[in-house]
Amino acid sequence: MLSMKNISKSFATDNVVTHALRDINLDLGEGDFVSVTGPSGSGKTTFLNIAGLLESSTAGEYWLDGEDISKLDDKGRSRMRNQKIGFIFQSFNLIPDLNLFDNVDVPLRYRGFNASERKKRIEYHLDQVGLASRMKHLPSQLSGGQQQRVAIARALATSPRFLLADEPTGNLDSSMAQSVMSLLEDINANGTTILMVTHDNGLAARAKRQIFIKDGHAQELLQGQQHPIHNLAAV
Amino acid sequence: MFSYYLKLAWLSSKRTWGMSLLMVMAIALGIGAAMTTITVNYLMSANPIPQKSDQLFYVQLDAWDPNNPYFDNGDPPDQLTYRDATTLWQAKKAPRQSIATGAAGVIEPADKAALPFMAQGRANSADFFPMFDVPFLYGSGWDEQADLKKEFVVVINSEINERLFGGKDSTGQTLRLAGKDFRIIGVIKRWQPQPRFYDISTGAFQDSEEFFVPFSLMAEQVIGHSGNNNCWKPTGSGFKAYLDSECIWTQLWVELPTQADVQQYQSYIDAYADEQHKFGRFARTRNNQLSDVMTWLEQREVVSEDASMMMAMALMFLIVCLLNTVGLLLAKFLGKASEIGVRQALGASRRDLFLQHLVESGCIGLVGGLLGLVLAWLGLEAVKSMYGDWMAELAVLDLNMVLLAILLAIGSSILAGLYPTWRACQVQPSQQLKAQ
Repeated sequence: MLSMKNISKSFATDNVVTHALRDINLDLGEGDFVSVTGPSGSGKTTFLNIAGLLESSTAGEYWLDGEDISKLDDKGRSRMRNQKIGFIFQSFNLIPDLNLFDNVDVPLRYRGFNASERKKRIEYHLDQVGLASRMKHLPSQLSGGQQQRVAIARALATSPRFLLADEPTGNLDSSMAQSVMSLLEDINANGTTILMVTHDNGLAARAKRQIFIKDGHAQELLQGQQHPIHNLAAV
Repeated sequence: MFSYYLKLAWLSSKRTWGMSLLMVMAIALGIGAAMTTITVNYLMSANPIPQKSDQLFYVQLDAWDPNNPYFDNGDPPDQLTYRDATTLWQAKKAPRQSIATGAAGVIEPADKAALPFMAQGRANSADFFPMFDVPFLYGSGWDEQADLKKEFVVVINSEINERLFGGKDSTGQTLRLAGKDFRIIGVIKRWQPQPRFYDISTGAFQDSEEFFVPFSLMAEQVIGHSGNNNCWKPTGSGFKAYLDSECIWTQLWVELPTQADVQQYQSYIDAYADEQHKFGRFARTRNNQLSDVMTWLEQREVVSEDASMMMAMALMFLIVCLLNTVGLLLAKFLGKASEIGVRQALGASRRDLFLQHLVESGCIGLVGGLLGLVLAWLGLEAVKSMYGDWMAELAVLDLNMVLLAILLAIGSSILAGLYPTWRACQVQPSQQLKAQ
């Protein structure tokens, strides 16, 4: 369902060209759970942004659910993000003015669902993350873990086939992180493909596949292969 | 989505209420100042008789000093001599014609306990009433015979009727005016053309008259003249000499329904000037003008340059206020960059974001416009208190002005919001989401 061929991303300033990603090749199938690790500045987030259509690559082909992304305009990319992709961010990125109900409502509005359909979905997904009773609360009234759960409910509200998580547990303590990770595993078990960027090797190891990015190059780790980050740390 | 955008606009304004208040105030001040001056200008330059303003023509002839034109720009004088006006009127070359001048006289109430009072009026011929569509409450104007027979008939306005007759139908009653008994034949409804186009010689925004009497009574000295009277050479002695003099103090309007009528009448007054030239008058024989109502008001600059300048300054002030609003909106929208990034990630297109922020700008404009209307009303009240009664009719916000104010406020705030909105839509979501 996701296919990247020779995806590269470079940033040019007056005199310097910086290569953030070089010739990334990746194929993800239905129900995959892929973790992406790598040192800071290695290009993980850029990779995730390209995968999530938040940025464009400077070279290469990217096909998502049978559509050639390079041929889409802003409206087409927005539609793809809304219908096919769910986002979870490290800092939750809930809109502070909106209560939980309205936060989860945001992608549903852009999807064009009617009021009753939206209400049904919002209540269902908030219930799934255990926050149905706090729908009228503002994000600031919740703990970090709870906010991330709302973000997950928001990401799932449009029933995306593809979930992108950028350090979803980065701002959480370990018990909350475990709880959120378990939630992601449940979501994956229900068939949603997940691409997760993380610094945490322990969490990365819980994914079905692991990709390691360093200096813009991606390398898929085989089952049981020692994580290269240990080698880097040892150097 | 519109209601959703309205909700978001409300939440956004509530969060940054101080900044929103500043923007509303900026727009309100700009709209208030602009609407105050626009209203005064609009009413000053309004067509006072739109149904037939292009058929009513003011007649100007130039019998003035050969060596010294009446107006510096060479325009003919703004009134006629009695002899020219009456000659043209008597010639009946137009389907309708109204000869007139200002008049004044003391009215003595029948109730002896009530004090006599001075009233401003008009001495005019019979056609004045149908030509200018004067609305009657009771009775009607007089006919041509009354003019010719110099009948002592009078038409009064509703205020005089109220004052002397308690508002009842007073036609057939007697009015003691200027020491003579006049028979009341008509009472007009409240009638206040703005500008008072049919006689602007003493000011274009004066109240309309309290009474009307036949013009022919002027020559009999039954009623006194009141208004501008300009002479360029001695009049000689006696009232007869004054009537025959070159003093200008009468006005002539003609109703010319077709273009052919206009050309015909123009030829007639040119021929009249030529003929008079032979007798040593009319040094400028071809300086005769027929001006329809709006041309006449423009020619005489009824809307003064000061008023136009004030309006220009007020509009510039509105622009300054809008520029401030642009700055504030820019700060506000760019302050929401992270939210914009999140919305983009969740599926908002640039068009969605553009509309969302335009609605927010429009809402600020609407509130600013409504507050601006209150300020405009206060401004007009201030204008009234500064300039007195004659501005009372000009300093009124009508429905057109209210709608214009709201449209101006919304339109200009959307205009002010375009650049900040465009900038907001250029936000790169990836940068904003990472920056969180």
